[in-house]
Amino acid sequence: MRTKFSGILTLILALVVQLTFAQQKTITGTVTDDTGLPLPGANVIIKGTSSGTQTDFDGNYTVSANVGQTLAFSYVGFSVKEVKVGAQNSINVTLQPDAAALEEVVVTGYSTRNQTVQTSAVVSISASELSQMAPTTSIDNMLQGKAAGVQVTSANGKPGQGAFVRIRGTGSLVAGASSPLYIVDGAPIREQDLANIPNEDIENITILKDAPTTARYGSRGANGVVVITTKNGNRNKDAVIRYSSRYGTTSRINPNFTMMNAEQKLQYEAEMYALGVSGAGSLPGVTTTPGSPERADLLSRQTNWADLILKEGVIQNNNVSISGGAEKVDYYFSVSHDKNTGIIDKINGFERLGTRLNVNFDAKEWLTMGINVGYSRSTSDEPRDRNNSQNPFRPIYTVNEYETEYLYDEEGNILLDDNGDPTYNPTHDGFPIRGALETERSTDIDNVTLASVDALVKFSKNWSYGFTTSINHALTRRESYSKPGGILDIILNNAPVGNKFDDQQDRLDLTISNRLNYVLSSNNHNLNVLGLYEYNLNEFYRTFVRSTGFPSPLLSTQTSAADLNDGFTNRSRLTLVSYGVFADYDYKEKYLVSASVRRDGSSNFGKDYLFGTFYSGSIGWNIAKEDFFSVDAVNDLKIRAAYGSVGNRNGIDRYAPQATNSYGFYPGGSSSVPANIANPNLKWETTTTANVGLEFNLFNKRLRGVTDYFVRNTTDLLFNIPTAYESGTGSVAGNLGEIQNKGLEISLQGDIIRSNDFTWTLGANIIFLDAKVVALPDGEDFTPTDNTFNIRFSEGRKINEHYLVRYAGVDPATGKSLFLGADGNTYFAEDLPEGDNRVFQGKSTIADKEGGFFTNLNYKGFGLRADFVFKAGNWINNFVRSNAESDGQAVVDNQAVTAFNYWQQPGDTNVMPSPIYAAVDQSINSDRFLEKGDYIRMRNVTLSYSFPSKFLDKTPLQSLRLYAQGQNLLTFTKFWGDPEVGISSGETIAFADSVAPGEATLYSYPNVKSFQFGLDVSF
Amino acid sequence: MKKIIYKITVFALVIGGFTSCDSELDQIPFDELATSQAYITVADFDNAARGIYSTLTAGSLYGGSDAGGMLDAPDILADNVTFAQKGRGTRRTLHNWQYSASSEPMSGLYQNAYTMIFRANTLLEQSANFEGDNKDQVVAEAKALRALGHMNVASFFAKIPTQSADANSSLGVAYVTTADFSIEPARVSVGETYNMIVQDLKDALEGIPDAADAGRLNKDGVNILLSRAYLYMGQWQNAIDAANDVTKPVAPLNKVVGVWEDVSKDGVVFWIDVDPPGLDITPGVTWSQFGVNTLVPEYVVSYPFYQLFADDDIRKDAYTFQGRNGAFKFNAIKKLFAREGGANPGRVDIKILRAAEAKLNIAEAEYNLGHEEAARIALDAVRSKRYVTPPSGETGVALRDAIRLERRLEFAFESQRFFDLKRWGLPVERGGFGDLQDGSGTPSDAQNLAADANQFQLPIAQTALDLNPNLAQNPGY
Repeated sequence: MRTKFSGILTLILALVVQLTFAQQKTITGTVTDDTGLPLPGANVIIKGTSSGTQTDFDGNYTVSANVGQTLAFSYVGFSVKEVKVGAQNSINVTLQPDAAALEEVVVTGYSTRNQTVQTSAVVSISASELSQMAPTTSIDNMLQGKAAGVQVTSANGKPGQGAFVRIRGTGSLVAGASSPLYIVDGAPIREQDLANIPNEDIENITILKDAPTTARYGSRGANGVVVITTKNGNRNKDAVIRYSSRYGTTSRINPNFTMMNAEQKLQYEAEMYALGVSGAGSLPGVTTTPGSPERADLLSRQTNWADLILKEGVIQNNNVSISGGAEKVDYYFSVSHDKNTGIIDKINGFERLGTRLNVNFDAKEWLTMGINVGYSRSTSDEPRDRNNSQNPFRPIYTVNEYETEYLYDEEGNILLDDNGDPTYNPTHDGFPIRGALETERSTDIDNVTLASVDALVKFSKNWSYGFTTSINHALTRRESYSKPGGILDIILNNAPVGNKFDDQQDRLDLTISNRLNYVLSSNNHNLNVLGLYEYNLNEFYRTFVRSTGFPSPLLSTQTSAADLNDGFTNRSRLTLVSYGVFADYDYKEKYLVSASVRRDGSSNFGKDYLFGTFYSGSIGWNIAKEDFFSVDAVNDLKIRAAYGSVGNRNGIDRYAPQATNSYGFYPGGSSSVPANIANPNLKWETTTTANVGLEFNLFNKRLRGVTDYFVRNTTDLLFNIPTAYESGTGSVAGNLGEIQNKGLEISLQGDIIRSNDFTWTLGANIIFLDAKVVALPDGEDFTPTDNTFNIRFSEGRKINEHYLVRYAGVDPATGKSLFLGADGNTYFAEDLPEGDNRVFQGKSTIADKEGGFFTNLNYKGFGLRADFVFKAGNWINNFVRSNAESDGQAVVDNQAVTAFNYWQQPGDTNVMPSPIYAAVDQSINSDRFLEKGDYIRMRNVTLSYSFPSKFLDKTPLQSLRLYAQGQNLLTFTKFWGDPEVGISSGETIAFADSVAPGEATLYSYPNVKSFQFGLDVSF
Repeated sequence: MKKIIYKITVFALVIGGFTSCDSELDQIPFDELATSQAYITVADFDNAARGIYSTLTAGSLYGGSDAGGMLDAPDILADNVTFAQKGRGTRRTLHNWQYSASSEPMSGLYQNAYTMIFRANTLLEQSANFEGDNKDQVVAEAKALRALGHMNVASFFAKIPTQSADANSSLGVAYVTTADFSIEPARVSVGETYNMIVQDLKDALEGIPDAADAGRLNKDGVNILLSRAYLYMGQWQNAIDAANDVTKPVAPLNKVVGVWEDVSKDGVVFWIDVDPPGLDITPGVTWSQFGVNTLVPEYVVSYPFYQLFADDDIRKDAYTFQGRNGAFKFNAIKKLFAREGGANPGRVDIKILRAAEAKLNIAEAEYNLGHEEAARIALDAVRSKRYVTPPSGETGVALRDAIRLERRLEFAFESQRFFDLKRWGLPVERGGFGDLQDGSGTPSDAQNLAADANQFQLPIAQTALDLNPNLAQNPGY
């Protein structure tokens, strides 16, 4: 009725206007949505002109127009509404949601598809959501807690370091093969290179979780796909200049344990010596007596080594972007600079300069071309990440507080060296870390170019052809210099010679893709068929040079060195040829069907097994779109089911099927040794996923949810299968068995309050994961000897279970450690039954519950958002703790205060074992320090203010937002130390080699907290 | 119409350019050579022989290791050295005999020895159809190194035949003679193990040249190994015969210091030059790091053992030195410490076999045959080149002890002591002295190991057991 009335009214007005002279007038009004909420930032354009305005924060607008002109009101996700200007001075408009437009457009494998008709488990994160996330230098860290089923653990706290990302569990048992495939504008990028993409350039991150979409990346999608799209400009829009800036500080998350101070440690040493711990005999707690002048000297120079080695770091980010477009062209341009000094004093952290230009233009009516080019240069100072005193994060805990930074002479003055500089104290570790941070420098410099050029030819309304060439070229260089006369030089050579290596690695990933597309859209039927033919080349080239004999610490290029010690190059190639056909169909958006088949050939498989075929099929039903379905509370309801297979080729050598000899040197000439053991039967690892999902929007879309249940079976696991030591061959690449990940994902979001001025949204997601080993060759247990510490695989057991002897506490009568034998009885260490006493206990490194939740409050322009992440059910072997509570075995190193709590007399309980027996007790590889890794962490809290347009109208600004943000400010855990454990020790098991991330702690770069202030402005 | 032609042209060009992609799937490595191309010429087999030798430079064999290798473990397990508190605490579990299967003692040696054996077996199999003029030599070298690898493993992980009455029938090692990644062999008896070692060494003697290039075995080297194997087996006359075939003279007194500073190779039968840019390894880190006055020793000379070096024994200068670190003074180990002048500490040539062993093997074997005179002659052949005034003239048990003492002194810190105690059925007794120059300081945690202790046979690493279900563990673990 109302509609009819306004229709008539409009008609009358129109007639009136016909007769009226054009007359400029000021019109005001409010734009609201269907629920009556104001729409801030809605466009109000005078049709046929380029002038107009936007609504302010309260949905109000003011515009000058002539009578007879038409105002077009538009807002993302809503249908455009047009109103002709008549006599009225006020036009209030209610926009109706656009059913199709409201849904996100999802980038799914070579095409985009509307979320409404999507039949796959997909999570899409838009630029606006990204801007609300905890800003870090690497994108993968930002995904933490954002999407159900996406498990993210920061690898460590090093600036620019990425994260371990696992989508729906652990899909492989081999190093580097459980990570998802990352695609940037069509080109694959290595997980460790993600930090080279400035966050501000990202338009959208789409996470593809199950077969209908991942199968389109057939060969490499087995562990999920993360599709990253960079920004483009909008057509017919004047340039928008956006500037964002952030500044803040960063520091170590305060440990939840306390190390001994000087006095405590001296006392501890004396206690240990009294118990007969021989190593304590030469320590100052024994060689000096309490109250003596020597003791007083020690105490007077107490040094907190954590304060000494660490600093408060600085985080800084600046970005400028310009985007816009004309009728036939759109563009996006940006420059950004990021800096994170890290928390180690004396060295720099991570710094990145990035720039990008994305342009699309219509060359002809039937031809569109585009180019996306991004370049970034990052430099990163690389501290040693190893389990010894060269790693600055080890002496924080191991050097005693009575040890000083510098050496002192007998008068108590700092000892000077020949140059008059203070002499660093090597400490009991024998290595002066503070000096080494100055003279032993290692820097990574990455130059990365991501470029993609494409052409789209429209043959007809239905047929089109697309051609894309995508290049990811990474030139990375590590320069590691022991300066002449530096700490290591003197230790190793006893003379200033210097030692430097330059390690340059050149990686090219080139994808040439041809796509033939057929689209048929009628009223009821929508069909989209895509044919794909693609070639991918990955080429690696490395140059390494090492020399000694540098004349000056100021000269660091190899040309100045006297003696060339080592120099070599490496080269390898990996190729992939793919064919595929993908089809999507829907009937009235109610009944949805998709299917795909893809055939990939990869050069790293056996001659007869080069090709693998991967397929998927999925169906969906939008129940809420049915006429018979009329539940008012339900806005959307979709069920979907999918099944399909995806391949994996990572984790094995590029030439694994071929028998080879490698060459080296031995006095007299070359040496030749059999290197790779051939396995000509090596074939694709295949993951088959079955998925059912439910998506719903309820109560006027105030409650939104997605839930999925999946079963992922991975067969023919690629593995470097260790052979018997006696064969002498190390390992052989093979297809090893079967694993299964199954789980339930739930993601819910609700607007608790949704009113004009005030909105409060809560959201949460969780995955319940069950990851187990189904089958192994011959049914035998399997120990992955490389890249894990105590992990063992066994049929029917969880993936990545710790395999250790069970510690059973302290015998109250004697203070000796007790252990459980394999037979379940309690024994002293020396009495354990012969044979293997290690057992499986269902304790895995993989969390079985993980997710995140957030709260977001907005009041007028103010916003308060907090994001939490949590993880439960994983177990961590806490080696750092075992060194800090060493029962006197590491008495030379500083200890935790809790180390005092050892057994002293019969009857003592809740104590640590007596140090008297520690040497024997600790020869048992037990689970004494295996701890639950459960935690909840407040990843991000942000307080922001967006200025309303009524203020901004008087300025050239379009938008202005200020915010203050804290990261990792709160952590709830019972774990000793920081529970977010990724890398144990980067030089023991490198990021890319990790099979069981989070298995153990071993002094890697700790996670950090930060406070930052930021500003986003556009004009 | 024209437009359609344009479009089809573009389409055809692009598709046409990339139709031959399937051939791109044939990739061969750039950095390695197909095995089928690697064993053809004389040079190929020379390279392959050097490839077997190169395994010896692995840390846990003769390259010097923090985890225990041939250069250090036979002394660290025995009574020649004391744990140094100033060091980094390496190999403590080994030194204190606190190892278990899960601590995986000497696992590196075990693995590297079998790697060497695999490389030897590969050469032997590949040489079946090779008729080049170096075939006899490379085959002989492969067999000798196969024997050496097995003997090294057996010395640590199995009993030595003369160790006890039951030794020969006890668990030996898996003796591998095929190059096959899929094997999971069981351990044969000690008796069989040593028979196979002897067989390989006898085969090697057929083709090994009298003189060989640096870094490669010659006939003297194989004879020393054969003599050692027979000595371990208690086949005294065979041990003597093999040793008698060694022609290289024992280094004279005035060259002994130079041998250990790499200025002389007198008396050294088999060694490996470590000079960069080739190998660039520093075996010396196994005992200590840094300079004489900034020494960080891992182990020092046992105080009671140090007292056994007579003042006129040149080895006192050649094998030990007075090192210090701040206020701490040590009787430090000089073998492997540095070359003449002290440059590049720890980077010294690896000495694997020396002529003196042949003489001392003869002395011991002759004594066991009751030939005291012959034993004395052999013993004095060494002593006369070590002392200014050499002791002489012992008889009976005194002669036996003199032979044993001389072996301990001559091969101090040099790959023998633990095996000698083991095969003589003697306990380890360290004497309780500290790690400092005057015997004060902190003694090693563990002092004595009974002669019948199971720790004389190291446990097979748990991982090895996990990977090979046919492998039996030694008793007591």
